Amino acid sequence: MKDIAVIFRREFRAYFYSPIAYVFSIIFIILNGGLYMFHFFLLGNADMRSFFAVLPLILGLIFIPAISMRLWSEENKLGTVELLLTLPMRTEHIVLGKFFASFVFYLIALAGTLTIPLLLLILGNPDMGPVVGGYFGAVLIGAFFLSIGIFISGFFSDQIVSLIITSLACGFIVLIGWGYVPMVLDGWIPGLGTFLYDYVGVTRHFNDIERGVIDIRSIVYFMSFSALFLYLNAKALERRKY
Amino acid sequence: MIELKNVCKSYGLTKALKDVSFSVKKGEIIGFVGPNGAGKSTAMKIITTFTAPTSGTVSVGGYNVMSDPLEVRELIGYLPERVPLYSDMLVREYLEFIGEARHLNGRFKTRFDWVVDACGLESVLERKIDVLSKGYKQRTCLAQALIHDPEVLILDEPTSGLDPLQIIGIRNLVKNLAHDKTIILSTHILPEVSTVADRILVINDGQIVADGSFGNLIKTVTDLSVIYLAVQCAKKEFQTALSDAGDIESIEIDSATPRGITGAHLYHAPDRDILPVLNKIIRKNNWLVVELVPERLSLEESFIRLTQSHAKTTQKSKKLEVTGPREGGAA
Repeated sequence: MKDIAVIFRREFRAYFYSPIAYVFSIIFIILNGGLYMFHFFLLGNADMRSFFAVLPLILGLIFIPAISMRLWSEENKLGTVELLLTLPMRTEHIVLGKFFASFVFYLIALAGTLTIPLLLLILGNPDMGPVVGGYFGAVLIGAFFLSIGIFISGFFSDQIVSLIITSLACGFIVLIGWGYVPMVLDGWIPGLGTFLYDYVGVTRHFNDIERGVIDIRSIVYFMSFSALFLYLNAKALERRKY
Repeated sequence: MIELKNVCKSYGLTKALKDVSFSVKKGEIIGFVGPNGAGKSTAMKIITTFTAPTSGTVSVGGYNVMSDPLEVRELIGYLPERVPLYSDMLVREYLEFIGEARHLNGRFKTRFDWVVDACGLESVLERKIDVLSKGYKQRTCLAQALIHDPEVLILDEPTSGLDPLQIIGIRNLVKNLAHDKTIILSTHILPEVSTVADRILVINDGQIVADGSFGNLIKTVTDLSVIYLAVQCAKKEFQTALSDAGDIESIEIDSATPRGITGAHLYHAPDRDILPVLNKIIRKNNWLVVELVPERLSLEESFIRLTQSHAKTTQKSKKLEVTGPREGGAA
């Protein structure tokens, strides 16, 4: 437990060594806020549905890969992975420390968008159920994508490669549950699209939670996939032993 | 303290280590010597649990590196070849992080002060690692390896990229640590370890080709002794006079002598003393001796011989085949 905290502190501080953290947070908040306000003025509804509708795609394509890309790629590039993996710590603890550092950083950026529900509360009388549900879903989806990102960054020493591959992987998982995509896939190979939509795609589970339907299956889906990728990350790092 | 048994390691098709076995006793300093790509770093990575051997067993302090990696890591201080440093951190922050990660807790303050002093880091503690010179980076990394007072020190090319003064500094530091620690020090420059190491392991092409003290190693590479003789006489006269002297196995005329002086390297079996014979010849011909020196193989040359002659071990004849000018000759 102490080991996780040691790694967490170093990793979390590392985000703020360069201006990237600040630039990232500001762009994240402006982009999300901007996209939302556009719809807000158009429709005039005191809800956040349009905010949460695009959130998975924005997170999966750009923001999560940008947070997770450096986690292992930087270590691989600097050679510090050799230092880290010869410290008297379990690899799982190092992975968890890194994961929580990126997760907390993500939560801080996400918290920056809380100005929107505040604004809604001042201007109107929004239904807070979907808003709370939406944020809860965003927390879960963030953890899920970060675990994919940290897993992928373990294989590369170039941060940009990690970014692009994580972005493709997360993008695929979002799009597989997006509108017509499963139908198109079903047209190619019958059943494939539906299968992926049901079991892999993230959108269905996110939409459930965002509507305020907090289904235990969705929570299990996010948690178990996050845990799986973190486990695979630790195993993959130890695998360089064989 | 450290024991390797029949260790093999392959990266895909390349075999980095081929059946390597050796053991290191507590308190020994081992110089691990070999050309680049010989497998030094691979062996060290295996001992430090960073990579696992393809086959064979490795134990450090009685712990197996595969089944008890955490115990092994506690024992070892490791300076990898790539000098792993977080470039954005301050030197102090970096050492604090390592101290925490190594669970030093209460011991940290005293250990921190000790390594800062031993590695000469006082002046750069508050500096970003990124802007340090190569020498300071190397020393910061060495401090990292020493901070937990490890029983075993694995130093992978600790002196590469340092200036001669810093090399001596590191050498002295290693010597001071020597009495209670087991140290493996790798380098591709033999002279660097010949003064510090109790024992030298020469590795080439993934195999241990020589193992022993420095003096013994030198003996194994050459089975002929050499005397350099320069006298004031004509070359022809010199050759005819020496050609019938017994015990001289071969004569190699030194072409770089000034006019009127003839010099040559005279090879003879080490158990035969050719000085009386030489004396007799010199007196008989009434030569003026300009130079008479018993020669030794230079460190560089013995290193080349160690790594190259063993590459073709099938060639049993180890007759010296001298090509280049020898140390102490023309110069």
